[in-house]
Amino acid sequence: MLVEAQPIGESRVAGERGLGEKMRVDPTYISNMVGSLDQTQSSEQQLSAELSSGISITSLSQNPVGAGENVLLLNQIQQDDSFTRSSNLVTGQLQVADSALGSVVTELTQAISLATSANNGTMNAGDVKSIANQISGVLNEVQSLANTSYEGQFIFAGGKTAAAPFSTSTATTPAVTSYGGDDDVNYLELPNGQKIELNVPGDKIFLGAGTNSVFGALNALVADYSTGTVNTGQAANDTAALNTALNYVSQQRVTIDNSITQLTAASGAVTNEQTQLTAAQTDLMQADIPTISTQLSQAETQQTALEDVIAELESASNNLFMKLRG
Amino acid sequence: MGTISSALSIATGALDADQEGLNVVANNVANANTPGYTEEKPDWQENAPITVGKVQVGDGVTETGATSQRDRVLERRLDQQQQLASASSTRLTALNDIQALFTPDSGSSSSTAGDIGSDITSFFDSFSSLETNATNNALREQVLSSASTLAGDISGAASSLNAQSAAIDQEASGVASQVNSLTSAIAQLNLEIESSSPDADAGTLEDQRQLDLSKLSQLIGINQVTTENNGLSITTTWGQLLVSEGQCMQLTTGTVNGVTDFFLGGTDITLQLAAGGGQLGGYLTARDVDIPGALASLDQLAYSISTSVNAQNNSGTDLTGATGTVANPLNIFNEPAQVAGSAAAMKVTMTDPSQIAAAAAGGGTGDNSNAVAMANLASGLIVNGQTTINYYSNFVSTLGATVSEVQTENTAQNASVTQLQTENNALSSVNLNDEASAMSMLENSYQAASQVFTLLNTIMAAALNLGDQTAVA
Repeated sequence: MLVEAQPIGESRVAGERGLGEKMRVDPTYISNMVGSLDQTQSSEQQLSAELSSGISITSLSQNPVGAGENVLLLNQIQQDDSFTRSSNLVTGQLQVADSALGSVVTELTQAISLATSANNGTMNAGDVKSIANQISGVLNEVQSLANTSYEGQFIFAGGKTAAAPFSTSTATTPAVTSYGGDDDVNYLELPNGQKIELNVPGDKIFLGAGTNSVFGALNALVADYSTGTVNTGQAANDTAALNTALNYVSQQRVTIDNSITQLTAASGAVTNEQTQLTAAQTDLMQADIPTISTQLSQAETQQTALEDVIAELESASNNLFMKLRG
Repeated sequence: MGTISSALSIATGALDADQEGLNVVANNVANANTPGYTEEKPDWQENAPITVGKVQVGDGVTETGATSQRDRVLERRLDQQQQLASASSTRLTALNDIQALFTPDSGSSSSTAGDIGSDITSFFDSFSSLETNATNNALREQVLSSASTLAGDISGAASSLNAQSAAIDQEASGVASQVNSLTSAIAQLNLEIESSSPDADAGTLEDQRQLDLSKLSQLIGINQVTTENNGLSITTTWGQLLVSEGQCMQLTTGTVNGVTDFFLGGTDITLQLAAGGGQLGGYLTARDVDIPGALASLDQLAYSISTSVNAQNNSGTDLTGATGTVANPLNIFNEPAQVAGSAAAMKVTMTDPSQIAAAAAGGGTGDNSNAVAMANLASGLIVNGQTTINYYSNFVSTLGATVSEVQTENTAQNASVTQLQTENNALSSVNLNDEASAMSMLENSYQAASQVFTLLNTIMAAALNLGDQTAVA
């Protein structure tokens, strides 16, 4: 049976030595089969490791291109994740800025209606002075809104966020409100390079040029009414200026609102991208359980077969000496 | 004309020859599992016939010894293939150790520890977070802590590579003494073979020499040249003489630039040995090519990150309003002087998070434009014209491809070794079935010869007694 099982090999010229010809057979073939058995077991080990970890690429050499791709995918996913966290952090600040500007608009609307009532000429000096006091109150309120801070940082101070940017000096009449911040605008950069404005410097909102200056108009109105006598022409001009300044504030507020909208849109896009990237990365790295299970089962079958063959060969008296002895 | 006594002498000769043959079989069976033993076949020679008058009469058989079943060409091919296979498998072991330092990150949160790719991303992301509030101390701390993780993982990988290189260096230097003891044994065997069998196979001595050659082939790459009188010269693959008949040159080691180099007669042959094959070739390729290659990539990465980040930080204003100067630089990482060694030396030297210059030069402390610039280094082409993450991605791909290539090479070479080994075993190994059949045949012919002898003896007695059966038995 054994002789038949071997392929027909080249016969060697031994006949002249009187011992007949023999087929070329490696008598140590069992050790070769044990080698195959070792290989099968090592592939079983690898497959079991993939099954238990759930990861298909456990070393670089298994899939060099995949391993490199994985680095890039994870980089993108992590960046997206980081942007989502950053976006949550800045949304708070932008909302505080928006709500402060909302309050400024309310205060200024009130100041305009006070000024309008003072300008209609029906008030006595005491009433006019009282209007001056009330507008002065509005001024203080607006100044305090302009000095709003978020997490200890003054959000309308440009880059000089450590100190309150606005202060009013009453040494002159009308009083002068000055800006101690700078024109610095901070941006948040998205992973795709898009920039979102995080702040509007305070002087752009409250100290616009000419009739756009909120504080200029308010200080002028306080000066107009503080004596109790109203210079109707001057007061009307100043009231109109405050109206213009109010519109200007609303325009600046749009920048903040735009940033909030952009941020929301970007967060949505980034979250979508992250979902897709995660799916791609999972596809790349996750072990394909059905395939691996099949491969494992095949390896097991092969192992059993090899063991059976080895056992069979060992148990069959595979050398003639055994037979001759009998 | 033949005589009864000459017939008796033929039968006696046959008995002697069969006995010799049985000795050869017994020796084969005894050495069936001896490493290096090649099966021997008895040599039979027909005795010269005797011519009496015009009649030629046969004169029996003589057993003239035994011949080892050897194919020198096959053995040399096996040795050469063994040199290649053992070089690639030694190199593969080293490469597997290298790639284990850069196991792919599965992406689950628990697996990111120690992954340089994730570290790079986290580090630059920490600047993106700092954009949201340049003065926030927690975010600044985050920058320093992710910088420490990055520096720690890069320098950790570099020191593991250095340690691995030192271990391989030690292993390699141990190979030299094994090579020397094998080459002196071969030189000694050469002398014995040349004196005992200058023009025929030397049998057992040849077996031993071949076994030593095969052991030597596992250690280094060699060429064999048969010289006169059955001697052997051995050179390295590149032609440096190791054994010339009875002489052998000692391979010596010495330290050059901190690593072990190999010398033969005062000449440094390390490069040639690395390319030659065998275990030593594998060790030297791993030590001088693979590990330095991986280290050089890490060095370049560490150097570029450290210098670019330091330069950017020095160009901005920190939380106290200070800007880095030559005398008082605001360095986050220790500034490397040169690329080589940057990875092993990489560490975070900044301890005060307020020294991170998030603001542009001259800007207010709330300005974030320098933080934006730092975060943008992630997409900047700062490492050999590539972004840091692309550079790292290419590095792991290239490393993985090298390992995979050597794996494939090794599998093919091992298959070839197995095939040649099988061929060689088929010729030279003791096949117990063959021995059993040979023994059976010899036993039969021995019995036949003794029968012939008994019959001749009876005939001889009859002749001596001239028909009287009782006189001589």
